[in-house]
Amino acid sequence: MHKILVIEDDEVMPKIFQRILHKENYQLDHVVNGKEAIQKLEETNYGYDLIITDIMMPYANGFEILSRVKSRKEGKPIAVIIVSNAGNEDMILEGFKLGADDFLKKPVIPGELLIRVKRLLMQYQ
Amino acid sequence: MKTIPAFISATVDQFRYAPLVIQIAVIFTAVAVSMTAIAYISILLNRYRSHRREKKLAALHPLIDELLTEHILMNEELYTDEPVEATVPVGVFDKPIFEKKWARQVLIQRLMQYRDNVQGAMGDQLRSLYIQLGLDKDSLKKLKSSRWDHKIQALGELTNMDIPIADVIILPLTNSRNRELRATARHAYIKLSKNEPFKFFDVATEPLLLWDQVELFRIISTTDRISIPNFAQWITYSSNKSIIAFCLKLVEHYQQLSAVPAVVKLLDTRDHYLRANAINCLGKLRIESVEDKLMSMYDSQPHHCRTEILKAFGRISSGKQVDFLRQEFLHSSDFEIRKHAAKSLINNQWAASSLIQELVDTATRENKLILKHCMNPLIKF
Amino acid sequence: MDSTFWEMLRNIFEAGTFIYGAVLLGTYALLALFSIIAVRSYAKKGESQQVDILLKSPLAPGITVLAPAYNEGLTIIYNVRSLMTLVYPRYEIIVINDGSTDNSLEQLIEAFELVPVDFAYNVKIPTQPVRKIYKSSNPAYALLTVIDKVNGKSKADAVNAGINAASYDYFVCTDVDCILHEHTLMELIKPVMQEPHKRVIATGATLRIANSCEFDEGVMTRMRPPRQLLPRFQEVEYIRAFVLGKMGWSLINCVPNVSGGLGLFDKEVAIRSGGYDFSSFGEDMELMTRMCRYASDNKIDYAIRYVPRTLCWTEAPVTVRIFGRQRTRWARGLAQLMHAHFSMFLNPGYGRMGMIIFPYNFFFELLAPLVEAIGIIFYITGAVLGLINWPTALLLLLFIYTYSVMITTLAILWDQLTFRYYKSWREVIYLCATPLMEMFIYHPLIVFFSLRGYFHFLTGKKSSWGNMQRRGFKQQATAH
Repeated sequence: MHKILVIEDDEVMPKIFQRILHKENYQLDHVVNGKEAIQKLEETNYGYDLIITDIMMPYANGFEILSRVKSRKEGKPIAVIIVSNAGNEDMILEGFKLGADDFLKKPVIPGELLIRVKRLLMQYQ
Repeated sequence: MKTIPAFISATVDQFRYAPLVIQIAVIFTAVAVSMTAIAYISILLNRYRSHRREKKLAALHPLIDELLTEHILMNEELYTDEPVEATVPVGVFDKPIFEKKWARQVLIQRLMQYRDNVQGAMGDQLRSLYIQLGLDKDSLKKLKSSRWDHKIQALGELTNMDIPIADVIILPLTNSRNRELRATARHAYIKLSKNEPFKFFDVATEPLLLWDQVELFRIISTTDRISIPNFAQWITYSSNKSIIAFCLKLVEHYQQLSAVPAVVKLLDTRDHYLRANAINCLGKLRIESVEDKLMSMYDSQPHHCRTEILKAFGRISSGKQVDFLRQEFLHSSDFEIRKHAAKSLINNQWAASSLIQELVDTATRENKLILKHCMNPLIKF
Repeated sequence: MDSTFWEMLRNIFEAGTFIYGAVLLGTYALLALFSIIAVRSYAKKGESQQVDILLKSPLAPGITVLAPAYNEGLTIIYNVRSLMTLVYPRYEIIVINDGSTDNSLEQLIEAFELVPVDFAYNVKIPTQPVRKIYKSSNPAYALLTVIDKVNGKSKADAVNAGINAASYDYFVCTDVDCILHEHTLMELIKPVMQEPHKRVIATGATLRIANSCEFDEGVMTRMRPPRQLLPRFQEVEYIRAFVLGKMGWSLINCVPNVSGGLGLFDKEVAIRSGGYDFSSFGEDMELMTRMCRYASDNKIDYAIRYVPRTLCWTEAPVTVRIFGRQRTRWARGLAQLMHAHFSMFLNPGYGRMGMIIFPYNFFFELLAPLVEAIGIIFYITGAVLGLINWPTALLLLLFIYTYSVMITTLAILWDQLTFRYYKSWREVIYLCATPLMEMFIYHPLIVFFSLRGYFHFLTGKKSSWGNMQRRGFKQQATAH
């Protein structure tokens, strides 16, 4: 079973993720800010297959988490999808520079999100 | 021994024959004390009201979320991109609480929040739910309210839910005397109107605020239904500078090459801010053919137009302006000009690598610093 | 002293005080009225305008955040981190290490993987020399620039260096020990983008006291009025000054000052006005005055705007000694400013600045402590000589007291009506009770320290305190 970490400070979005991804029997953990995300990652020794993160949130922004996950030498690589309502092109580029695997703008299309998650998980297997 | 009435009448007498200053002071003291008391009570009432509202919301939100999750998010049929004829679960919302106006308002807001996060079939489903629960009637009623902030709220709901509004209702609002309402109504019209969404570009005489431009840009670039016109018509004919400036941004966003002749013509405008915008737009579109014209006008331009021209040469990166950039870099007395020249030289690196090396080797200390600054990938500007 | 002379003196004095007082109280009443209009209009507009639209937009203007730091080693990493989580699509952060003697710079280098870069630093405003400029080698921190410069003994010098290196058209100036609301940048730029005709050269927002709020790694988790009395007085004073004062003035486009704790400025105008003055004791107000002056002189139709929402929390002094230093400094700054720009006084060429703001500040900010002091001396003398009509005097005092309590309570009400800050009833009651004591405890302190500031200004006393003590209260506050 794949483990996915959702980092999102919005109230509604995680509920939607939960439902969308529930279909495929993924195990989902949800944290609301950068600090909790880093804690969770360190607690589990980066034991996730995929991270879905927002960019702007309290404590540590999405880029910082992305950079931590992607610059880690040991352990298996983790796929990262950025889901954000910040549609600024510079930000998207910044994200890809740091090694983001995908970028989705809100509002998302559930079917599309599901396909992208599946594809990434396959790639990283 | 004095009785109470006697005491009061004595006090009143005392007040009556007191000097004016004292009378004023006494009256104002009384006013101040009662105002303070009213303020205390208002704080109390206000806090109590919002406390109760918060409690009610705390109970209602989970209920709405649960219903939406169970009946919309869980619906398997909605995980495709194609429109599906899924049945809308109106029945489950048939609860007494949703007869109350405030609860319906909360529901509308929650639905909007969901629609900000998902689109596609699921988004359509949320919209159908909004309509079938008759929430659009609530919004339309608010649109007829006499309070402008309610009208704005209603417009926001209707545009979020993509509900067409009859021209007879919305057109008067687009001429409202209230600026906020007027702008919101125009945005709504652009988003929802089927025939001529851009008609306000022709008639607007007041400046289009930067804030409104942001909103308009979002509407135009995210509503699929709007057919994008050739913005050249306004760039050429509009007398409203802010509309021209906004159209330049749209031309750039849509890479609208058909508008380029109009933008080039705009280089002759007397307004140097617009001119700078036009140069910026041409640079971002990478119109190589305009380089000669930019070059020939360079000397007669004010500072910020010059920097825009230098930037444009960097963006276009044709390799033809390298000598000019080198000359500006070496001989301009202005720091900004030298920096932009250097930056654009670096952007032309494919055609100027040996020149850049030579400059690095021979430049003065400050110029060398500028070159290194521009070459450093860690520094963005 | 013969008693008819005394009588005459008293009559003149009383008439003068009466007019002075009436105008002052009238102004406050007007401000209360103006401010509720402005605050309600802000709240009404805010409901319909979602700030996150700006977040998605490529049209958002760029903003540079300037954070000068001197020996802030204790908290600097958290504070910079918290600046990085501001919600805005296009901004950069410039931290200016003003020759700290602690390990601030080393901490920054280590935490944010900084490397020195060859930065083409252009001296538009002269400052103490810049030693080195750092950028992060980690793209996650690409928005951060750190300037290491020689200590300039003032915040002004540090911020000026930051302005020189700023790349965007607007800059937000803050103290590194201030905690900002995450929507600060969006809220501050909004008035600039919504102004149809004028050029908005500065925007400010409400400041509040951080002392009893709860923070976690530079993020505020719980807002509270200060538990200690002195900071609580300051909280009440800030609410009155910002929500009632600045908002009222902003309705008629007469904002006198954008606070140094947090403000957004038009970079071009700030540079052309010469930047912050390192020799000033009130550099924020001084710059604002010069920017207005520059704008008037160059026929720029300008505006200064205020946002009633609290966007910044700052640590307030908790001991009378340090509080006294702060206020003495402010008063000295005010006197300096009035002296340096006196040609604007009642000068119609400077529009509202010359005709309303400047005279108001002169009579009711600068002269108020003097008038009060003279009044007190006058009454004490009178009392000693037994020439006071006690019922009248006490009645007037009662009037002044109730009036000032009313004004402050109204300010708290405006604030509460619109934002409902604080969580519990008790906190609000505490806060409402504070103005009742203000006149007897807090106000005399302010009068005294202001006079001390004017005295220092007149005698040209060398300030023995640099930036060290200016933030000295910080250490004390953490020791509690």
